[in-house]
Amino acid sequence: MIFKELIKIIIYGTLVVLFISVNALFLVWAERRVSARIQLRRGPIHVGWQGLLQTVADAVKLISKELVLPKEADRFLYILAPMLVFAPLLSAFLVLPLAQNVVIRDLNIGFLFIFSLTNITFIGIFIAGWSSNNKYALLGSMRAVAQNISYEIPLLLSTMGVVLLTGTLKMSELVPAQAKGWFLFTQPVAFLIFLCSSLAEANRAPFDIPEAESELVAGFHTEYSGMRFALFFLGEYTAIFISSAIAAALFLGGWQGPLLPGLVWFLIKTYGIIFIVMWIRWTFPRLRSDQLMALAWKVLIPLAMVNVFVTALVLELQKILA
Amino acid sequence: MTETLVAQDEIQSVARQCLAQGYFLESFTAVDFAECIELVYHFNHWGPCQRSCVKVLVPKNGGSPGAWSTPSISSIYKSANWFEREIHEFFGVTFAGHPNLKRLLLPESSEIFPLLKSFKGEPKGADVTQSLKLMQEDTREFKTQEAVSLTQKNKDYYLNLGPQHPSTHGVLRVLLHLAGERVLAGEPIIGYSHRHHEKMMEIQTYLGCWPNMGRLDYVGAMSYNMGYALLAEKAMGLVPTPRAEHIRVLMTELNRVSSHLLWMGTFLLDLGAFTPFFYCFDDREKILDILEMATGERLTYDYFRFGGVDRDIPAEFAPAIKDFIPEFKKRLRDYDKLIRQNIIFEKRTKGLGILTKENALAYGVTGPSLRAAGVAQDLRRDEPYSLYPTLDFQVPTSTDSDAYSRYWVRFREMEESLKIISQLVDKIPAGETKLARIPKNFPKGEYYSACESARGTFGMYLVSDGTLNPYRFHLRTPSFSNLNAIVDMLPGCVVSDVVAILGSIDIVLPEIDR
Amino acid sequence: MEINKDPAFLDTQMPPPGLVNLFRVEDALNLARANSLWPLTFGLACCAIELMAGGASRFDMDRFGFGVFRPSPRQADLMIVAGTISRKMVPCIKTLYDQMPAPKYVIALGGCATAGGPFKYPGQYGILEGIDKIIPVNVYVPGCPPRPEALIAGIIELQKQIKEGRTQGTMSPAAVADSQDARPAEYRDAISRADFRKPA
Repeated sequence: MIFKELIKIIIYGTLVVLFISVNALFLVWAERRVSARIQLRRGPIHVGWQGLLQTVADAVKLISKELVLPKEADRFLYILAPMLVFAPLLSAFLVLPLAQNVVIRDLNIGFLFIFSLTNITFIGIFIAGWSSNNKYALLGSMRAVAQNISYEIPLLLSTMGVVLLTGTLKMSELVPAQAKGWFLFTQPVAFLIFLCSSLAEANRAPFDIPEAESELVAGFHTEYSGMRFALFFLGEYTAIFISSAIAAALFLGGWQGPLLPGLVWFLIKTYGIIFIVMWIRWTFPRLRSDQLMALAWKVLIPLAMVNVFVTALVLELQKILA
Repeated sequence: MTETLVAQDEIQSVARQCLAQGYFLESFTAVDFAECIELVYHFNHWGPCQRSCVKVLVPKNGGSPGAWSTPSISSIYKSANWFEREIHEFFGVTFAGHPNLKRLLLPESSEIFPLLKSFKGEPKGADVTQSLKLMQEDTREFKTQEAVSLTQKNKDYYLNLGPQHPSTHGVLRVLLHLAGERVLAGEPIIGYSHRHHEKMMEIQTYLGCWPNMGRLDYVGAMSYNMGYALLAEKAMGLVPTPRAEHIRVLMTELNRVSSHLLWMGTFLLDLGAFTPFFYCFDDREKILDILEMATGERLTYDYFRFGGVDRDIPAEFAPAIKDFIPEFKKRLRDYDKLIRQNIIFEKRTKGLGILTKENALAYGVTGPSLRAAGVAQDLRRDEPYSLYPTLDFQVPTSTDSDAYSRYWVRFREMEESLKIISQLVDKIPAGETKLARIPKNFPKGEYYSACESARGTFGMYLVSDGTLNPYRFHLRTPSFSNLNAIVDMLPGCVVSDVVAILGSIDIVLPEIDR
Repeated sequence: MEINKDPAFLDTQMPPPGLVNLFRVEDALNLARANSLWPLTFGLACCAIELMAGGASRFDMDRFGFGVFRPSPRQADLMIVAGTISRKMVPCIKTLYDQMPAPKYVIALGGCATAGGPFKYPGQYGILEGIDKIIPVNVYVPGCPPRPEALIAGIIELQKQIKEGRTQGTMSPAAVADSQDARPAEYRDAISRADFRKPA
């Protein structure tokens, strides 16, 4: 029994790591092509067919790069930080409903589990900034922590509307509940708040202030080189994938769709949202950190609360009328 | 231009009078003579130009450089601060009462006064490893400021923004004194791109100075060509041919548009928007194509000559411009929709980096940054040169004097430049582009002339002793004074705003460091 | 350092064939490195504008994978020295180069970075005549400034070098000296102000 479980863990673990790597390579390539398209360019086209091998070359190169350890850095924490950023994201794949009955573990607490674990990455980011002994990195990580704490609240509040409608946190029950209509249509405000907050959670433009290239050089990962830097990159793109996947499951009906198998529909919806995320990145200027905070506390949180309140009110009214 | 010679101890009261009458310090430099150092102050007035030149003699009395002293006017004119430091390091004149008389452009450890005539060049074979060691001692100061440890009790610390930083537009270093992310004070430190233009031109022929003009402000090099041509024609009494005159104005205005485009792209890059940069460069390439047709160069133009231009424009030059104008006008409308009407852009730039009129006067700010403060000062209109008196164009101004209005002023300047171009493009007269005979040297005397570059007033002060090389050639570059003005804009903003303010005043480093 | 390019000499330097041969792996790594050169966002003067143009729409260095400009030297592979090296900047460039992780490559873009360019004259006091005096250079791109096409050609040349595994770069001869210009200096003496002011 234990043996069987162990094999299962190994197989799933390998699959997930494989998927994460391939997914990140694909997303970086896609990002570069999408940005090029927006910017009147071609993007990578010469390495491999349509430049598909470009990110593979980048990855192999990053693996073979020297790992610099700054003299003044806090050695233990400096080495720990990239792992701490990357590892918790793996756990998120435990509960993602990839297709009907394809969930590794269908936990009762569902997506709450993902949010609580992925937040460990921010401790990793803070440790990265602190241990680098670099002021730009420290500024970046301070911004990251402030941003994360602020945006965690609207992110969770926006999902509460959906939870109120279904009465469950279980991913496998949230998706079938949308058979009649996606929650995008019944909870449009919640969807926008969720998208906005997840952009901020993933440090994406226009909320990319922790790594703001034109201000803080490279933000919290200024001092990281080679594979350690690649882990941050991998983490960033996996985080985007996860939050888009949750958005697809919560608001766009997850694996449901005609003709094609569930997994394909799920991926189509997820990558659709990722495309929108990229589109936003290459269109808007960056917000300033105080404006970012103001947006969270003065706009998104009140709006999310109103949304929860209205949803609850409508539900109660329906009950009374019925 | 009036010229007065005042005694050393009177200069402060003269400067005070000038400031009270609304004059700003346009240019301030020195000339080394055998018996004295001559300090040359050029004051100018906003609006129609009324230049006045004041001179002060600092006797050498047989002393060595560094011992010659004269009163400072940096407490009256803030712009004099950097000018005086520059004169101090190049001529060895000590300004009594200057708050911070350190080297400005050269490394701290330098012991030379290069613009003195007694400086005969660095000894041949100066060892690089040795000088590297010396210069690393300089960076110790860099490190001590950095090393104000984060664990210490008070919460303020220093941050070196640059010299290698993605948004300092070259190699500028800004030493920021921060509390958290809030800026308490900021000091630009320059000289990382000092290329000894002025000394170099002293050992070159007058014709040999042309390439330097292309490499000072490489983004808007045509205005610099124009400036030198104006100076030479004023000195030699030449009149350029009408065809050359038309070509010159066309080139200068096209180059002004391309310079503003580059600024717009990089400014938006500083604000974190990547895509406008690519659009601006796309349009800029189209302009460069047109300029390249005539000049053969993409960037560091070396096209004008005394009394004309280097070579004639090809036949497809005018049609290419005519094709470009409507296309670009459409693009400008797109930019307006995408950038100015974007709420994030508005929130980031409105009320940011305010330059008051008093500061603009005290720092001698010119160009679009000054016009954004509501002062319609433009030498193309106020001190008309070349064809500008016959052309119909506006001088756009704005009143808020923040980063947003600086954007808006430059944006509308592009439209005005297009207007000028479309007025001229059909009317290029036939004829020669060069004069048959031009003198090789400037007549003995001193000359000052200024023109409007893409960044502000570009002034040149030249002393000729009648030989084949300039005796002294000083360049008053607009960014030098404009950059100094950020000292008063920085306190109170956050780190994100520092790069936005730096971007909004539009600097080109080699033009500042010369 | 003088590089001995004599093939007979090079043969003696090759390791003997053994049981474990890592050449193939090294080749594969070199191929990846050659196709993924991330330049440092770093400009000194005029050439930097052409470097930017090279990354922008028309020339688009990203096509070949050179378009990922990294602002932090820790993540860059390629230092494009674009512009005149003033003496004040020299220690900073050296530091930046030292901060880059190996394997790292240098391109000297333009005349100034190659040998001082137009700013070289006898007895000059302001610039370093060529970046190869302080760091090894892989490829020199001539021009003042070079066109973006020339830069791309330079990077492709570097790619070739990486694929062939010759990336040590060249440094200036050991006796490094500035102001090597042999022309006679034309420095003049100060003239008397009284003479100068005297009406002709």
